[in-house]
Amino acid sequence: MSVIAPNFKLSEFIKSIIDDVVWTILILSLIGLPAIMMVLFVIPMPVIDGELLTPFLAFTYLADPTRTLPIVQAFMTTDMFKIMAFPGFGFAALIAAGTIFIERKMLAKLQLRVGPFYCGKVEGILQLMGDGLKLISKEIIIPAKADKPIFWAAPVLFVASAAAFVALIPVAPGWVVADVDMGLLGVFAVIGFFPIVTILSAWSANSKFPFIGGIRALFQMVSFEIPLILSLLGVVMVTGTLNLSEIAASQSSFPWIVFLPVGAIVFFITMLAELERIPFDLPEAESEIVAGWLTELSGMMYGLVQLGTYLKLYAFAALFVVLFLGGWNGPMIVPPFPMEIATHGMEMGPVTVKIGGLAPILSQTITQEMLNGTLWFVLKTVGVIFFILLPRGVFPRIRIDMLLNLGWTKLIGLAFVNIFIALALVYAGVLGPGGLQ
Amino acid sequence: MADAVFLALTVITIGSAIAALEMRSLIYGSIALMGTLGGIAGFFFLLDAPFVALFQLAVYVGSIAVLILFTVMLVKRELIFKKIEDRKRKFAGIGLMLVVMVSLGAVFLDSGIKTITTDEPAVDFRDIGTDFVTYYWPALILMGLILAGSVTGALVLARREDVENDQRVS
Repeated sequence: MSVIAPNFKLSEFIKSIIDDVVWTILILSLIGLPAIMMVLFVIPMPVIDGELLTPFLAFTYLADPTRTLPIVQAFMTTDMFKIMAFPGFGFAALIAAGTIFIERKMLAKLQLRVGPFYCGKVEGILQLMGDGLKLISKEIIIPAKADKPIFWAAPVLFVASAAAFVALIPVAPGWVVADVDMGLLGVFAVIGFFPIVTILSAWSANSKFPFIGGIRALFQMVSFEIPLILSLLGVVMVTGTLNLSEIAASQSSFPWIVFLPVGAIVFFITMLAELERIPFDLPEAESEIVAGWLTELSGMMYGLVQLGTYLKLYAFAALFVVLFLGGWNGPMIVPPFPMEIATHGMEMGPVTVKIGGLAPILSQTITQEMLNGTLWFVLKTVGVIFFILLPRGVFPRIRIDMLLNLGWTKLIGLAFVNIFIALALVYAGVLGPGGLQ
Repeated sequence: MADAVFLALTVITIGSAIAALEMRSLIYGSIALMGTLGGIAGFFFLLDAPFVALFQLAVYVGSIAVLILFTVMLVKRELIFKKIEDRKRKFAGIGLMLVVMVSLGAVFLDSGIKTITTDEPAVDFRDIGTDFVTYYWPALILMGLILAGSVTGALVLARREDVENDQRVS
C-alpha cells in the first residue's frame, strides 16, 4: 500500500507548524509592523470626521469593523484607487479576463466544439487561472541575437500604452481616471504608440516571422489610424467638445449612432483592424507566419502582451460606447438603497444593527447614479465586445492589399461622408444650438 | 514642481537629441529622436497648450518617428553610409550649432518674452478653431491646398503602371 508521505510523523508535523508560526510572528513584529508604520507615516492620511487619521487611529479603526467605512470611503476618493481599482486597471483587467474566457467558450460553441471544459469542473471556469499560472511559471526565453533592452521593454510598454488608453475612459459620471479636456486627442496620441511598440518588439526579436508580422501590423495600424480619426470628427462636430465625459453626458436623450451611423460603422471596422482581430489579423496570422510579431515572446512576456491586447480591446469597445452608444446613460433601473438602514439601523427582532458611516458613503461615493451608470456602461461595453468577437467565428482572413485598399479608399471616403452628414445636421439646425441638444 | 519638470524635460530633450545624433545604432537613434519629440510635447504641456502637445504626440511621435523607424529598419546601414571621422567637421558643427542657438536665443530674449504673463489660463481650442476660420482663413485654405496637392502627388507616385487592371483589387 502506498501512502503519500511514508515518513510522516505527527510530532514533526506539529513542530514544523509551530516553527512556522513563531518565525512568522517574529518577522512580522520585527520587520512588518515597523514597515507598515513607516509607510503610514509617509503617506498623507485623510481627515475623517474632522480628525486626522494618524496610524494609531487607523489601527484603532481597524480593530472595529464598523468604523472602517470612513477609511474605505476616503480611500475610494483617492487617485490611487481610481488608477488601480475601479475605473482604471483592475476593472479593465477584470473585463479583459472575462473577455478572454467568453471568447474561447463562444468561439468553441460557434464551431461546434466544447472549448475549455475540465478546469474547474463547471464549464472550464478556471481555465483562465490555469493559463495564467502556466504563463507565469514558464521560462522566458530570449533569442540569442535579440536586441535585449528593447525586447524586454516592449511587452511592458505595450501594457503601459493600453493602460494609458484605459485611463481616459469615463465609466460613470465623475468616475474617470484622467478627466482631461482633450480626452479624444489623448486617445489619438495613445493609439499612435501601439505601432511603435509593435514594430520595436518585432524588430528586436531578430527573427523573420516577428519582423514580417511587425511590418504588417505597422502598415495596418498606421493606415487605419486615419479613417479612425476622421470617423470620430463627426461626433466632435455635433458635440463641440473633445472631453470624453462631456461627450458621454451629451447623449442623455439619444445616442449619436442614431444620427451618425456611417461614422459608427467606419469606427467599428477600423477598430477591428487596430485590434488585429479577425478578419484583419494579418500581423498574427497563425497559418502563415506562426504567431506574427508575438512569435519569439515566451512565458509572461507573451502573457503581458495578451493582457495589453485585451485591455486595448476593452478600451476600444468602451470608446465606441462613450462616443456612439451614450456611455453611462440609460434608464434608472438600479433601485435606491433604503436609506433608513443607514440612518436608523437594521431591525432584526429585538436586535438593531447600526453601521456607522454608511450614510455618507452611499450618498457621496457609491451613489445610485454611479451604480446605474456603471451597469449600463458595462452592459453596452459587453455588447460591443461581443460584436468584436463574433467575426472571429464567421469570417476568413483577408489579403494585405485588400486590407490597405479598404482602409485608404473606402473607409476614408465613408469617413468624409460622415463628416458631411454631421455638418449638415449642425447647419440644418437639427443638432447643436437651437436644435435637439 | 514645474521647475523640476522643466529641468527633467530639458535633460530628456537635449540628451536624447544628442543621443539621436551620436548613436552608432540607427534604431536606437530613432528611438532617441522619439524621446526628443516627446520632450517637446512635454514642453507644450508645461506651456498650457495641451492641444498642440497632443498633436505633437499624435503626429510627430505617432507618425513621423514611426516612418523614420520603419525606413531605418529596412535599410542596411553599411550600404548607404560611409563613416567619416573628422574632428574638424565635428567641432565646426558644434560651433555652428552654438552660433545658431545664441542668435536664436538673442532674438527670443529681445522679443519681449520676459514681460509675458505666466498665470494665464490655457487657450481654449475652440478659439483656435474660430481664429482659423475668421482671421487666418487664407492660411487655412493655403494649407488645405498644399495638403491636397501632396496627397494627389503621392497617389500619382504610388500608382504603378506595370500592374494590369485585372490584378488590381476592386
